[in-house]
Amino acid sequence: MPRIKSLEGIAISASDSENSFDFNPASFVKEKVAEIRGVVGNARAAIATSGGVDSTACAALAHRALGKGLVCFFMDTGFMRQGEVEEVKKLLMPLGLPLKILTVKDIFLRELEGKVEAESKRLAFRDTFYSILGEAAKKEGCEVLIQGTIAPDWIESSGGIKTQHNVLEQLGVDTFNKFGFRLLEPLLDLYKDQVRILARYLGVKVDASERQPFPGPGLLVRCIGPISEEKVEVLRSATSVVEERLKVTRPAPKQYLAAVIEDERSPSKKAVEQAAAQILPNAKVEYLRWRATGVKGDNRVYGKIAIVTGEERGPSELFGLPEKIIHKDKEIVRVVYAVDGGRSVKEGKFVIIVRAVETRDFMTAKPSPIPLKVLKQIAEKVKKDKRVSLVCYDLTSKPPATVEFE
Amino acid sequence: MYIPVVFMGGQYNHLIVRALKELGVESRLITPNMKVAALKEIDGLIVGGGPHSVNDGMDKFGSAPQIIEGAGFPILGICLSHQLIGKLLGGNVVKGRKPEYGKTVIQVIEPDDILQGVGKEFVAWASHNDEVRKDGGRFSVLARSIYCEVEALKGNGRPIYGVQFHIEVSDTPKGKTILKNFINLCRG
Repeated sequence: MPRIKSLEGIAISASDSENSFDFNPASFVKEKVAEIRGVVGNARAAIATSGGVDSTACAALAHRALGKGLVCFFMDTGFMRQGEVEEVKKLLMPLGLPLKILTVKDIFLRELEGKVEAESKRLAFRDTFYSILGEAAKKEGCEVLIQGTIAPDWIESSGGIKTQHNVLEQLGVDTFNKFGFRLLEPLLDLYKDQVRILARYLGVKVDASERQPFPGPGLLVRCIGPISEEKVEVLRSATSVVEERLKVTRPAPKQYLAAVIEDERSPSKKAVEQAAAQILPNAKVEYLRWRATGVKGDNRVYGKIAIVTGEERGPSELFGLPEKIIHKDKEIVRVVYAVDGGRSVKEGKFVIIVRAVETRDFMTAKPSPIPLKVLKQIAEKVKKDKRVSLVCYDLTSKPPATVEFE
Repeated sequence: MYIPVVFMGGQYNHLIVRALKELGVESRLITPNMKVAALKEIDGLIVGGGPHSVNDGMDKFGSAPQIIEGAGFPILGICLSHQLIGKLLGGNVVKGRKPEYGKTVIQVIEPDDILQGVGKEFVAWASHNDEVRKDGGRFSVLARSIYCEVEALKGNGRPIYGVQFHIEVSDTPKGKTILKNFINLCRG
């Protein structure tokens, strides 16, 4: 597991340019524009944007500092949502950012196909991403890469929770020797809510800056277990259904997403089912085949996903289930509840997990009380794809689970 | 008013600094490897959580144990550092039989000290594998939960405190009140 070299290094990096709590976007922009100009000088710089809030705000900031000296890349990794490329174009156009699109799906699929464990997938994604980016930037004559890494990214990576795809220097990766560029990360001390303030200040469209956070590796971190083209495709269409429906649910959850995993289950222990029955009578608890990332006591864990089937209940009545179950089997990090009374499509081979959470800063999160009716509507629509056998709702808070799955 | 936060490797350490600043207190993360003499000008100290266990040796905690044992200023330890304080004050730290991850309900035993104004019970977020047992330790127990018998402690005759749960996360709504109480203590 990658770890920061010393606690000392990180303590210093966190304190030097510490922002005041009352975040003032005007003075932040002024300071960072000067800093970016100072580092880049007369050279050119590249930025890779995913269309997410962090990288878009960072691109707008860098553009303000460098104007035509900035080259903006978008990498179509094959793990993007439906219509993502068009969305990103629409988002960046009004900011006057010319976009170079790199279509590299095949390379990513080749590098990732067959990999199972979350951390090995993340590392393969990271190395592929920066190799392609380093080459493309070199062709454009760029020596500096700017990226929108924010505080939770490096906090989680250095604590060993998970390797974020965009955290390099904090982990001691020498980017110049490995990928051929110097790295500049102007948003390193900001939290998500501060980035949103910055995005609005820089003229990133409000609907865009309120868009669902989407991690750099995209759908990859929501494909639990082995990667295949078909699995990503199933997830992509389920994601559209989930986002479309939960976008109009009131009160709106802070973040919502879908994940996919093979429908291969094994029985749990008797004690686990008895514990679950305290909240859901006659509950059946099984384990899914592949593990997911969680965080327990500041340690990253890679634990079991328990799937609970039983009577139909609103999810908010079941929020006590994870605690009960995890006390009986400490290897569990996630508990999901089968919508539709667990009625599954026979020929289906994938389970779709719907996740919706309430959170201020993504450092902790709790599951949203989505009405059962809404989840059933989602399930009905998602199960039109006969490759999906079952739709579940994630009942787990962060900790012990994380917001994303891997 | 200056209350630095000792970075012990936990994910939420940065949030403690953020919360202190929100309350108008100057703060920054400092390394546990600092020299004790460097702490002359401070009003109080918060020691954050982290991934290690106090039962795996003290070498990972830098000067923190020495400071906790000898400090003349108020100290608040969170999560791992609550356990560190419990152990240094003569209690025991053991693996929790029913560890808490996420929501828990804190039951207040001693309402007049650092837990003033939070009510008899309140919701907090915790994430810990280990827990403190009093076992004759030189501290009093200020709060408990149904799964953990020492959720908050105070050293005998000294303004040294520990909380097992995370007062710095937004899912602990009473966290700010507790932090304010600690800041008031630091005002002396």
